[in-house]
Amino acid sequence: MNIKELYKQDEITQKAKALFKEERSLMRLDGWLIARETAYLHSEEFKSLDKEMRAAKELEAIIERLPLSISDNAVFAGTQRDAFARSYALINPAFRVETFSGYCDPTAVYDDIEPNEDFPKERIDAVREYTKKTDYVRTLTEMYDKYEDYTAEVAFFIEQVTGHLIPDFKPVLRYGLDKIIADIEEKISAETNAKKKTNYESFNITLKSTKRLAERYAEIAESKMAQAYDERKAQLELLAKTLRKVPAKGAESLYEAIQSFMLLWQVMCLEQAPNPFAFSVGNADRIFEPYRQMSGEDRKTTAELLKHFLVFFNVADRSWAISQSVLVGGKANDGTDLTNETSYALMDAYYDMNLPQPILSAKLHKNTPKEMYREMGKFFFTPGVLTPSLFNDDALFAVLKNAGKDVEDLENYSVAGCQEPLIMGKDNGNTTNSWFNMPKILELVLNNGCSTITGKKIDTVTTETDAKKLLQNIREEFYKNADYFADKMCDAANGASIAISELPVPFLSVFMGGIETGIDMRDTKEQGTKYNGSGCLIHGLSIIADSFVAIDCFLKDYPDDAERLLNALRNNFEGEEELREYLQSCPKFGNNNVVVDREAAENASKISDMIASKKNYLGNSFRPDWSSPSTHLTYGYWVGATPDGRKAREQLGYGVDPLYGEAGSGLGFRMLSTFKLPFEKFCGGYASHFGVDPKFFTGKEYEDKGAEFGERVISPLFFNDLNEDISPFYLYVNVTTPETLRKVLADPQKYAPSGVYIMRIHGTFVNFLDLSPAIQQDIIKRLDLESTRL
Amino acid sequence: MKIKILHRGFNFSQDGPGNRLVYHLQGCNFFCPWCSNPESIAIDGTKMVSDGKEKLSCTEHDIDDVFEEILSGKMLMFSGGGVTFTGGEPTVQFEALKELLQKCKESGINTAIESNASHPRFLELSEIVDYMIVDLKHYDTEKHKSAIGTSNAKTIDNIKEASKVRNQLLIHIPLVGNFNSSKDDAESFSKLIKSFDNEKIDVEVLRYHEYGKDKWTQCRMEYKMTDAHVSDEEYLQFIDVLKKNGISIIKT
Repeated sequence: MNIKELYKQDEITQKAKALFKEERSLMRLDGWLIARETAYLHSEEFKSLDKEMRAAKELEAIIERLPLSISDNAVFAGTQRDAFARSYALINPAFRVETFSGYCDPTAVYDDIEPNEDFPKERIDAVREYTKKTDYVRTLTEMYDKYEDYTAEVAFFIEQVTGHLIPDFKPVLRYGLDKIIADIEEKISAETNAKKKTNYESFNITLKSTKRLAERYAEIAESKMAQAYDERKAQLELLAKTLRKVPAKGAESLYEAIQSFMLLWQVMCLEQAPNPFAFSVGNADRIFEPYRQMSGEDRKTTAELLKHFLVFFNVADRSWAISQSVLVGGKANDGTDLTNETSYALMDAYYDMNLPQPILSAKLHKNTPKEMYREMGKFFFTPGVLTPSLFNDDALFAVLKNAGKDVEDLENYSVAGCQEPLIMGKDNGNTTNSWFNMPKILELVLNNGCSTITGKKIDTVTTETDAKKLLQNIREEFYKNADYFADKMCDAANGASIAISELPVPFLSVFMGGIETGIDMRDTKEQGTKYNGSGCLIHGLSIIADSFVAIDCFLKDYPDDAERLLNALRNNFEGEEELREYLQSCPKFGNNNVVVDREAAENASKISDMIASKKNYLGNSFRPDWSSPSTHLTYGYWVGATPDGRKAREQLGYGVDPLYGEAGSGLGFRMLSTFKLPFEKFCGGYASHFGVDPKFFTGKEYEDKGAEFGERVISPLFFNDLNEDISPFYLYVNVTTPETLRKVLADPQKYAPSGVYIMRIHGTFVNFLDLSPAIQQDIIKRLDLESTRL
Repeated sequence: MKIKILHRGFNFSQDGPGNRLVYHLQGCNFFCPWCSNPESIAIDGTKMVSDGKEKLSCTEHDIDDVFEEILSGKMLMFSGGGVTFTGGEPTVQFEALKELLQKCKESGINTAIESNASHPRFLELSEIVDYMIVDLKHYDTEKHKSAIGTSNAKTIDNIKEASKVRNQLLIHIPLVGNFNSSKDDAESFSKLIKSFDNEKIDVEVLRYHEYGKDKWTQCRMEYKMTDAHVSDEEYLQFIDVLKKNGISIIKT
């Protein structure tokens, strides 16, 4: 049976669009509760089991119990909606900067579900109460309580990391689960270590459960087939036949490969319900291209099938912060370009569907075909259409090699979460484990360890009480304190990792190196993955650099007024507007000013080294990641006035970008400042955004504009022959103007009749119309077109 | 030596080829009533008022620092780019301009200027300028003088001489309604340009706009232009006449 013969012209696309519409109309997500309830209902039965085995048995029970269905619009079977709560995430429409809590309550998600007849309050509360008593929640709560003084006003923040990984499903697509199960059986026979033996047994339970999921879907397809006629009957027949084959056996066509992949993904997410955020597919073009070649689909049919693949990643009406991503393009270890027909088909699918999920990223290198830039033009220049974020392979290969990755693994780097580079199937980076707020630490240093926001004593190791001496030695004092706070943060972060290790993930571990090691990838005593580290998101680069330089200027011009400056900061510049204006007029990062750019580079270098010197639960380094996914707003809210002239509670700079409004010399000068940062040390990633005015691109067609964009923005930034250092390796862009966005907000019916107007925010796409006003305004503000004037 | 800078930034192929670091220098010896940068006219800068705050239009820099900045910007002078000095009128600060151009030239940086070509020593710059843009606002000396306050005689002489010694010259004509935009004006411009060594000359016609109008108010100066917009028909007619006269027209 050939897929093209079973569906009429464009029918696959029509079904994908109808399926998305169905999904978006879902107003309840109860599957995750059923999943957790299943664990609760079996808790007595599984009580005595080893925790790895318990996790496997729970997953097996969940797969057996979960209600399943296949839509009339489905071309494939599978969904990940049962793994997600409806609104639980930082960036949701109800997000308010003011209500951010510096405390991560793992049972707060139970407030997300609205009780109804099927799920009365008592039913929800029973699961919540059970969850509260688990070792995981107990351990985590202890850690939060211990460090509450630090996290309440976000001197730092920590969290237990779920999702945020890139599993390698390729062997299953190729050989099937049966082969993997057999390989693991052999491991079980040969294994003498009891723990590993149990782990292997647990792994296989989850793989067999995955086969069971396929069987359950096959049964549904077969029963629907009995009531269907003509084309639909044949379509369901193919679906049932495919589900009887994959993922148990290897895929032999694009259709089978996509189906196989979807079920594996579904199980992976179920295992981490309700928090499977930010998993990444990796290079989907490389994963599926061999199968496309086997079955011979052309670009159009490939795109049609991939539209269903994309719809799969959308969950109910939520269009934010699932943060799962798909990559295209890039180069091989020998420098060969790996863009293929599936890369372009996938881009076609993305463009036509324009869905809020999953995130698209393009890996670029010096020899990326011009065609790729031309194809990207339509994404950048069509208003309200998603845009790919951009990665520079040439630089990232060097950064990752420098961070200890083997050369043969480099081409398999991918990104999870917003922009965190990880090696597919081999690297557990715990990427969002810790969050470091430098401006808060500066505030505490300048105010005897007291918060200028609440007056509360937090902490400091500064003993200098003379205002002038304190300002003269501000760098030394700041870095001393930064190190002190970083130690506490890492201890807390490791505690959170130990807590989450109470919830092993046998299924995921199989695809993260577990077959070789026999160790769960969350194990905190033995390393289950080839690479391991913990992430630290560092906030406030531009504020610190601008503040240090402003302090220097101030001491030079007003040598006897140190106390006045400190008082002005404590009082949020009340009555000191003139002083504030003076501080604002001091040099700012982002304008190619030698002094302040050097300060920023030094800060980035020192803090990266400091973070990298800290050890996680396995003795591996923390990874410096200079990104701030909306946390530049939430953390800024808890930071008092700073010496750069920023007022209390105002936002921090985004990622490594200049503070909005402070880089008024245009894109060229901003890039020159950016080049000076030590990108080789940003092995955990970093964030940077350009809001670009479309008027600078004059090409006739979108494709021509895409080529211009490549020539004038991407190439000079990423592949600059004159840059002798490691080049920038990440960028996301929004090509629009504040006026356009204000119009969209004022009249969505006119400017976004579909109700979807996609913008980029951090690593993810969002439906601009679904966002909270605070984030909508942040997007508008940070377009900051003066900083990108061409 | 010091130099007064109004504004600086990179732009792509608008003031010379490729991506260029463009310096707008303070001071102008002409007074064009349509000027889109009126704050650039006064030699020592203009106090501008915006949001109730007063700010001087320019900042003064040591030319060695400016040269350092140019060198640091080499990474972004891609696609055959370089540095451009415009204004105001860059030759108002002649010595500083010449020294900077000289230094850039010696460092292999592509140089460009945009000038009204009225400075008596203008031709001294030709050898150190790779890409030269001159503004020719009117062909008629009297009309030029009455609108701008200064004669165009030296400008015309300089353009003529430059056209003899250079392999490249771009003439900008600002097309201003009721001043220089009629068909007859186009014929007269053509006649003048053809009297130059015009094989190497390109012409770009820039239509009147009012983007700088608000700045006149910020400078506490009165914007006196009225009815100077040029219609599409008139613009196309103007271009057409020049083309028919064999003049090379470009659009950057």
